[in-house]
Amino acid sequence: MKFRAAFFAASTALALGPLTARGEDLAAGISRDTVEITSNFTGTDVVVFGAIESETGEALPATEPRDVVVVIRSDKPYTVTVRQKERVGPIWVNQNMRRFAGVPGFYFVASTRPLKEIANADMLGQLEVGLDHLALGPAPGAIGGPRDYREAIVRAKMRAGLYGEHQGGVSFLSGSLFRTTVALPANVPAGNLKVLVYVFSHGQVSSSNSMTLFIDKTGVERRLSDFARNDPVFYGAAAVLLAAFAGFLASLAFRERQ
Amino acid sequence: MQIYLPIAEMPVNIFLIIGLGAAVGFLSGMFGVGGGFILTPFLMFLGIPPAVAVATQSAQIVASSVQGVIAHWRKGSVDFKMGGVLLGGGVVGSIAGIQVFNALKAAGQADLFISLSYVIFLGSVGGLMFWESLQAVRHGGSNVGGVKREPGGHYWVHGWPLKMRFQRSKLYISAIPPAILGFLIGVLSVIMGVGGGFILVPAMIYFLRMPTSIVVGTSLYQIIFVAAFSTFLHAVTNHTVDAILATLLILGGVIGVQFGLRFGARLRSEQMRLFLAILVLGICARLGLDLVLTPSDTFSVTIEGAE
Repeated sequence: MKFRAAFFAASTALALGPLTARGEDLAAGISRDTVEITSNFTGTDVVVFGAIESETGEALPATEPRDVVVVIRSDKPYTVTVRQKERVGPIWVNQNMRRFAGVPGFYFVASTRPLKEIANADMLGQLEVGLDHLALGPAPGAIGGPRDYREAIVRAKMRAGLYGEHQGGVSFLSGSLFRTTVALPANVPAGNLKVLVYVFSHGQVSSSNSMTLFIDKTGVERRLSDFARNDPVFYGAAAVLLAAFAGFLASLAFRERQ
Repeated sequence: MQIYLPIAEMPVNIFLIIGLGAAVGFLSGMFGVGGGFILTPFLMFLGIPPAVAVATQSAQIVASSVQGVIAHWRKGSVDFKMGGVLLGGGVVGSIAGIQVFNALKAAGQADLFISLSYVIFLGSVGGLMFWESLQAVRHGGSNVGGVKREPGGHYWVHGWPLKMRFQRSKLYISAIPPAILGFLIGVLSVIMGVGGGFILVPAMIYFLRMPTSIVVGTSLYQIIFVAAFSTFLHAVTNHTVDAILATLLILGGVIGVQFGLRFGARLRSEQMRLFLAILVLGICARLGLDLVLTPSDTFSVTIEGAE
């Protein structure tokens, strides 16, 4: 009986992942649940906020140490190729390449304190919290890359403004109310973003919450990208013909002046 | 003013792109080159994904080259027959290019081999052309045609079979050399991912001895098909042709082409060859520096696609 109970508890813990409610509730929200990409989209700010309450609905005493980590990442993973240049004589040339899978198109993490003070590396790795803990693995059929290849991906994404870490970016407004602002860059990939909020206490997740932020192209942007994807043959033919027609029109327009 | 590109998934400055299109269009109208070798790296520098940059600029090249060919055709300076032979060789060459590319890849060191041979090739073509045209400019070359032909001179190609009369080019030569040239350009286009106009143009001037005035229109004629095929293929296989980016580039391009055509028409042929030589040497220098300079990041990351 005892064994069964333990088994049940273990399997529940597995199913729920690392979250174990310990007599507290997390309520969280996003300032908007949809970001519409129109033709004048240049990026936008999203506010993630929330409150931690005890089960009785009271605010937690400020004496109880709490840390909040907010992760925003794209749902859709990519496969990427990393190439390394090496010097051959006086010439730099691509020598080695590795392929990685499970690379999120966008990843941002904000936390109340530096991540390594919040939890240990095992826990952070399990949750994929922090750029150092992203689970970027070798693509199927590829050999795993050494650490510097993996870091090259993070570096390239940070340069493009698509990956970021803001330690201290989450602030408590009171003992239980917290908020953070995330700047979504203009080149954020369209699709769903997962917004994950973790409350840590003594290095363990005490509660968590998952929300979805929809990044959606609208209007002309939407129609064009749907057209390109759903009907590529027609789209390609139309692109070629319209380009040729534009050249033809231009030659007519400039005819007199020659 | 910014506009969001639906396929590249990022915003760009409208006027910057139109200006870029105009600059490349100018080169296209003047020299009969596509201009992808300049436009692609520039678009990538702006943060546009390489696949989108390559695919989209080829749509602009379609527009520019159609416009250029029509203008040249009105002046009677397109050799359609020669263009057709080059194109025929080009089609076979592109198919062979894929085999060569795969063989190089399998042998390893493909990158090194391609980059090096490219730099050496461009350097020698550009250098010889620069020297020749400089001499011609200095001596006030009076020939309105191409490279000075020796009176009644015979070249080694004159003995070849399958002779054809290319009236526009004022040539009566074997069809084999232009077909081989087209073939080589086709192989190169596939391996390097460029249209090859800046190699084709000097080759037509110096190897085939076509008049410089005919070369530009004829080169643009065969570029139409190469660029159209490339645009279509990229749209179908990678969905990477960005309609809005292409529209902006074309908008600038048609204006640039017009200026390039007019400027080119005013140049004497040896002056045009000199400018083209400088352009080819410039490309060679850029590629050469890329090879020698220490990169800011020795790693490069390319996105293959969604899983």
